[in-house]
Amino acid sequence: MDFNGFYEEFGEPFSGRKRRKLIEFLQKAELDYDEQIEYSVNLVDGDGEIVATGSLHQNVLKCIAVSEKQQGLGLSARIVTLLMNHAMEKGRDHLFLFTKPKNLLMFSDLGFYKIIQTKDVLLMENRKNGIQSYVHALSRPQQAGTVGAIVANCNPFTLGHRYLVEQAASRCDTLHLFVLSEDKSVFPAEVRYELVREGVQDLKNVFLHHSSDYLISSAVFPTYFIKDKSKAADANCELDIRIFCEFFAKELGITKRFVGSEPFCPVTNAYNQAMKRLLPDYGIELVELPRKESGETAISASLVRKWMAEGNYDGIRTIVPETTFAYLCSTQGRMIAQKLAEQEKKA
Amino acid sequence: MKITANAVAGTLESSDVYVKVEPCDTLEIEIESVVYNQFADDIKASVKEVLDELGVESGRISINDKGAIDCVIQARVETAIKRAGGNK
Repeated sequence: MDFNGFYEEFGEPFSGRKRRKLIEFLQKAELDYDEQIEYSVNLVDGDGEIVATGSLHQNVLKCIAVSEKQQGLGLSARIVTLLMNHAMEKGRDHLFLFTKPKNLLMFSDLGFYKIIQTKDVLLMENRKNGIQSYVHALSRPQQAGTVGAIVANCNPFTLGHRYLVEQAASRCDTLHLFVLSEDKSVFPAEVRYELVREGVQDLKNVFLHHSSDYLISSAVFPTYFIKDKSKAADANCELDIRIFCEFFAKELGITKRFVGSEPFCPVTNAYNQAMKRLLPDYGIELVELPRKESGETAISASLVRKWMAEGNYDGIRTIVPETTFAYLCSTQGRMIAQKLAEQEKKA
Repeated sequence: MKITANAVAGTLESSDVYVKVEPCDTLEIEIESVVYNQFADDIKASVKEVLDELGVESGRISINDKGAIDCVIQARVETAIKRAGGNK
């Protein structure tokens, strides 16, 4: 294949020598290779040297760079086209793009629209007013009063979540509850959402939403899903928090964000700390509620998953609502327990 | 005929056009072009001609034009629609 005298190379993702070469090339452009990358495209000259590159992780375009000597030839357009076509083949039509703020104009030309930027990162999407129309369409009461919000994964929904939602709902007139849409957890997104819906339907001032691609997704908060202790410190969560404040909070009038205290997960903990620092800039209060305890241990979804792997259903019954328990005992639920047990064995 | 799947055609190179079609309840045509001020209406007319010819009633057609000539625009739109399974 040939483009302007350059060859196209595809990697799903690259490995070995080619990967090292790509990492080296990105370093020159002051970019880090993202280990989550699933697909990369390079344009290579006759000597085998990379002149342009771009990569894809799910629906996110990142690590796009063109060598300094070859800028102005439209190589980035070629790279972006190839990445978009690949994403489209995989059925991903809502695309995001990470770049440096100085590249705003270049990618605007290629059909991307700015969502938000921080000092060093710019996040764009391929839908005009995508996030604006999303938040605009969220259901809400006419008389909102004091508005609060919770964003939670609920993997699966426990009495701990129930307690957090109850407490939060009693402290404001309207509570927006966002359940993560990202399908990276052992319980599928649809199941998690359903269990939450069943578990909170008696609370009249709670409005349930899918978090979509805009909150804690691999687009806005990639490191959340790695859950690696060493990376907790540099968890790149500022973008996510600013999107929440700029778009969700402004549109819905949110003035309180509720979180459960986090004794276990370092990434979530770092995220809560960052919110504590950033939310006040937007006039939003972070309310940290202590976790509900059952006997001596704090209730957590990870405990439920651990007990599922061990088959301790009597224990689980005491820390999840009946609706969740019924699902866990269903055929689907048993299959998830089996999967968890296998994971445990490997670890 | 309705657009039932997502599809794309074309490239973002100069003198070409990148066409994206998506399912939508109504018929929407979005146009971005480097020559928008001069030719937006002509581009729209070209796209509409193809849509009429293929009998497309609904769908979102996004055009990102880099200065393509008429026949290129029409060919790209037709390809995108047919890729979306719209030729049945």
